Amino acid sequence: MIQFENVTKTYKGSTVALRNCSVDIEKGEFVFLVGPSGSGKTTFIRLLLREELPDSGRIWEAGREIGKLPKWRIPYLRRNIGCVFQDFRLLPSKSVFENVAFALEVIGRPKHVINTQVPQVLDLVGLSKKRDNLPGELSGGEQQRVAIARAFVNRPLILLADEPTGNLDPTTSLGIMRLLDRINRTGTTVVIATHDAGMVDQMRRRVIELDRGVLVRDQARGVYGLDGSVSAAGAGSPTGLPTEAAPEGGPDGPMAAEA
Amino acid sequence: MAVSMRYVSREATTNLWRNRMMTVAAVLTVAVSLALVGSALLLKQGAAHATERWQQGVNVVVFVDAGASHSEFTSIGRQLDQLPYVRSCTPRSQAWDYNEARSIEPAEVFQALTPAITPSSWRCALSQPSEASLIVQQFSGKPGVQHVASPSAQIRTMETVIHVLQWAFLAVAAILLLSASVLILNTIRMAIFARRREVSVMKLVGATNWFIRLPFMAEGLVQGLLGSLVAVLVVLGLYFGLLDQTKTAANQSSLIVQMSLGGAEVAVTCIVVLVVGVLAGVIGSALAVRRFLDV
Repeated sequence: MIQFENVTKTYKGSTVALRNCSVDIEKGEFVFLVGPSGSGKTTFIRLLLREELPDSGRIWEAGREIGKLPKWRIPYLRRNIGCVFQDFRLLPSKSVFENVAFALEVIGRPKHVINTQVPQVLDLVGLSKKRDNLPGELSGGEQQRVAIARAFVNRPLILLADEPTGNLDPTTSLGIMRLLDRINRTGTTVVIATHDAGMVDQMRRRVIELDRGVLVRDQARGVYGLDGSVSAAGAGSPTGLPTEAAPEGGPDGPMAAEA
Repeated sequence: MAVSMRYVSREATTNLWRNRMMTVAAVLTVAVSLALVGSALLLKQGAAHATERWQQGVNVVVFVDAGASHSEFTSIGRQLDQLPYVRSCTPRSQAWDYNEARSIEPAEVFQALTPAITPSSWRCALSQPSEASLIVQQFSGKPGVQHVASPSAQIRTMETVIHVLQWAFLAVAAILLLSASVLILNTIRMAIFARRREVSVMKLVGATNWFIRLPFMAEGLVQGLLGSLVAVLVVLGLYFGLLDQTKTAANQSSLIVQMSLGGAEVAVTCIVVLVVGVLAGVIGSALAVRRFLDV
């Protein structure tokens, strides 16, 4: 579903955001992208959204090499990718329903599709009763649920989340993670950039770790810190979430990918 | 393109209303500048008309003595025809000139006149009207010639003034049109800046650039259209006002009558004003959006 091949991205001022990064993510995987601030997580997400182009290397997404995508095709690529951010990015003057409907409206979906899909997805995120509230009247966790509903309403193949729990307390964060997990179980590939260590440890999913733009670990059922012994324990998630075994995406255990 | 008209018109209307002061400013600027463009166009066409009429008309009149013989009269005509800058000369009899005098001379002068003492004349159109003074010099003292009349220097000055004026009008109109376009561009840019959050969400969920651009272009179209409609009203007002003047004008050979235009010319001018206004609005807003779409 997502494939990075020797991707390097440098910003002006010679900060290397990603260095010779190669990753393979299969369809239906649930992946954490971890690392300290400035390690290249956000660049990873931006490359997937085709907001940036890599300096070198190639990126495939849903079977297409996105570097070769003509400019006018980019909107159609983005219709297959849902994205959630730390700051929610909701429109304050629109109600919950309108915020979610907006995503369908602007890609030209007819009214009857909007009227059936939006209530469905609001039901999925548990906000059916708040459909007429404005974002300002909701808690942070609820706002993030609206953002997730908006990202998922078009049933994208891939859901990206950049620090989705960065503004939320641990309990609320757990709820958001469960929601993302439910979405993952519908077959959607989920990639979450985070430095919420507790969350990563609880979920026990595939972890890709970046450090100053270099991929330093790719581990199935990993934890936040670099601790190989924990991953050997395998299943049995403390959150009680059913954790599927990750497909044969990446190598099990710590891996140094220094170029 | 699967962009619903309803969506575009709803978005455009909301925005126009939200930024109504800027909308009014843009509409007024377009109106003022296009009214000037329209007036300049009318003036230019009028000037062209007047010049054309003068040039087709008689440039020089050679009056021949009432007592001159027929052969003298024809010989003067032949000499005139040989001049390279004379296009054609028409003979006028004493009776014809007497009738003309009735309509142009003051009553007391005319009363002293009889057909017998009225001079006959040659009316000459010149291919180079500026050479009229040469004919005056050459023929003034000739035997049989009573006197030579040419259009006064005042009319020449008038022509020059009109030419300068019409260019000045056009230059001012062009500058105003430019400032109107910039104002439209700025209005739309502010509208987009106020909605950049919305635009970024639209880009994120995969709206096409045309989908984002169209409501803003519709907005520019409305501003340009409203402004140019006001301008058309001004141009029509000017036209009908002047038309009234020409009808009541005492002197039917006055400048204002010479410049009068046909309805078709005015219609074309109005259409030009409308098209320019709409284009300025649409292109201005398309340029304004461009920067925000680059992600």
